[in-house]
Amino acid sequence: MTASLTGSMASWVPLMPLLLVAIGGFALLVVDALSDEHAELATLSSVVLFCAGALAAVLATGKGLVPPPSGVAPYLAVGQMSQFWNATICCGAGLSALLAGGYLHEHALERGEFYALIVFSAFGAMVLAAATDLLSIFIGLETMSLGVYSMVAYRRGSPRAAEGGLKYFLLGSFAAAVLLFGSALIYGATGHTDLAGIGQSVRDGHANLRLLILGMLMLLSGLTFKVSAVPFHMWTPDAYEGAVTPATTFMSVVVKTAAFAVLLRVILTCFSDELSASLRTGWPGMLAPMAAATMILGNFAAARQANVKRMLAYSSIAHAGYILVGVVTLYSGDEQVRQTAVSGVMFYLLAYTVSNVLAFGSLIALGSYAKEAVSYEDLAGAGRRHPLAALPFVLGVLSLMGFPPTAGFLGKWYVFSAAIASGNDLLWLVIVGVLSSVVGAYYYLRVIVYLFMKSPEPGAAIAVPMRSGYVVLALVLSGYFVLKMGVTPAPYIDLALSAASKLG
Amino acid sequence: MLSTYLPALLMLVVATVFAVGIFTLTSVLGTKHMTPEKAIPYESGSESDGANQIRLSVKFYLTAILFVVFDIEAVFLYPWASIFRQLGWFGLVEMFAFIGSLAITLLYAWKKGALEWEK
Repeated sequence: MTASLTGSMASWVPLMPLLLVAIGGFALLVVDALSDEHAELATLSSVVLFCAGALAAVLATGKGLVPPPSGVAPYLAVGQMSQFWNATICCGAGLSALLAGGYLHEHALERGEFYALIVFSAFGAMVLAAATDLLSIFIGLETMSLGVYSMVAYRRGSPRAAEGGLKYFLLGSFAAAVLLFGSALIYGATGHTDLAGIGQSVRDGHANLRLLILGMLMLLSGLTFKVSAVPFHMWTPDAYEGAVTPATTFMSVVVKTAAFAVLLRVILTCFSDELSASLRTGWPGMLAPMAAATMILGNFAAARQANVKRMLAYSSIAHAGYILVGVVTLYSGDEQVRQTAVSGVMFYLLAYTVSNVLAFGSLIALGSYAKEAVSYEDLAGAGRRHPLAALPFVLGVLSLMGFPPTAGFLGKWYVFSAAIASGNDLLWLVIVGVLSSVVGAYYYLRVIVYLFMKSPEPGAAIAVPMRSGYVVLALVLSGYFVLKMGVTPAPYIDLALSAASKLG
Repeated sequence: MLSTYLPALLMLVVATVFAVGIFTLTSVLGTKHMTPEKAIPYESGSESDGANQIRLSVKFYLTAILFVVFDIEAVFLYPWASIFRQLGWFGLVEMFAFIGSLAITLLYAWKKGALEWEK
């Protein structure tokens, strides 16, 4: 075992994105401890994350992808699919680090640990997305979450940040406990902690059915908490609003991606047999109503917000609902449909990552130290005063709304068309999705209306856009990908399809 | 198979009966003579001084957290040391990576002033 654990040098290549991020995190700690300047930390952390992301993107095509050392295999899958998730996570985390470089400096909150937290959390997210064992799922989940909890409460002395952080921490640890309990029950029912072994035992019908069903429900509840699906969404608006905006960006894209990645893996490896994937007797019976409720509640609640950050929080709940439709589609027995659904979810999460970074980044860019832009009123007329700063916001909300030719439109298209292709059973879910995204159009367009057609109240304090090269770079990068994925989606969807067929 | 546990069960019963019995016996047989001195909270013989719900400095928690980190390190070091030879070079490298990562955290905490009691 020992010899195979170390393996040849080449076998470590698939693990490089993970190792790079981990080593980068420690390097950040050392640099932060030994230097007084914070400026280079944003650069260092985003360079580390983008390098790891680029490497993962190359590996995701399957080029140079060799099997990892055999000791790694039971715990982590580092095939094409994991590399795709790694690339998405590193992209979201790197862009958040760039936004932090601008935001924290502008608002005099610059303390070095924020970047280390982003990098270590991203590492946890990558482990979670690659995990193939109940133990590594839990370790990845906690590594990711502990960093995010402290990022939410980062603004010391702000009661809102403390409230959001504490709420997220208490509910999050409770959800983790539920997930752990579920894992224990599944282990009790099947005698395996590795997902492949559990899947085998479930297919063979050796598992204790009652324990297994309870365990599965608890495991799925723990994971759907992290993607903030209704009814486990309560913490989301408060945590998103209380957190500093770069942390909100990180949570909304990275945590969601990692949680959906592991949700897909658990369902595909463990619960894809006929009994547990049936709409009547299995997990789709739980996830389908959740998806509908998440889409409806997310969209209607978002429409009622006066605070743009809270609106984006509810909009992220709504997006979790759309993605859940793709997850529910995995009930289908048709391999073709399932691969389309998986690749649709993968494409959606990448598209959602860049669109959401664009929206949050623009919100950051439109405020400065004197006044941060948070409500619709703060945006009034900003588009006419500063057209260049408002333009990315328009692109961001159009993509989140699903307006062609943006990435967001194609994400919805792929997910919903997979659900329709699976047969008539999910037609109602697609109809709910399409109708509720019409509600979504109202609150997304409201941003544009305020930006360009309203004027600020006389005498009200006016938010002035900040000047930061970091934020501009983040906006340019994410804006580029929003358009690129919308106009020429072929390379991305092909990549997702080829990764989805491997399940590694 | 269950009968192998009988002595343990018996022990449990005896211990419970003894513990409950002694306390019941003292409360029934003992004389109670309350004085004002006896009514105050017991503080190791010295007179109590102020309320017990004082606020502790956050420094204690910081020290406690650091202690836990290195306590856990020790927990991992013991089993490693006992099968050190079987693990070979891989185990050595792995353990040094683990200790190294903790050393970096210690360096960080030190430089950030977590080890200074008075600031």
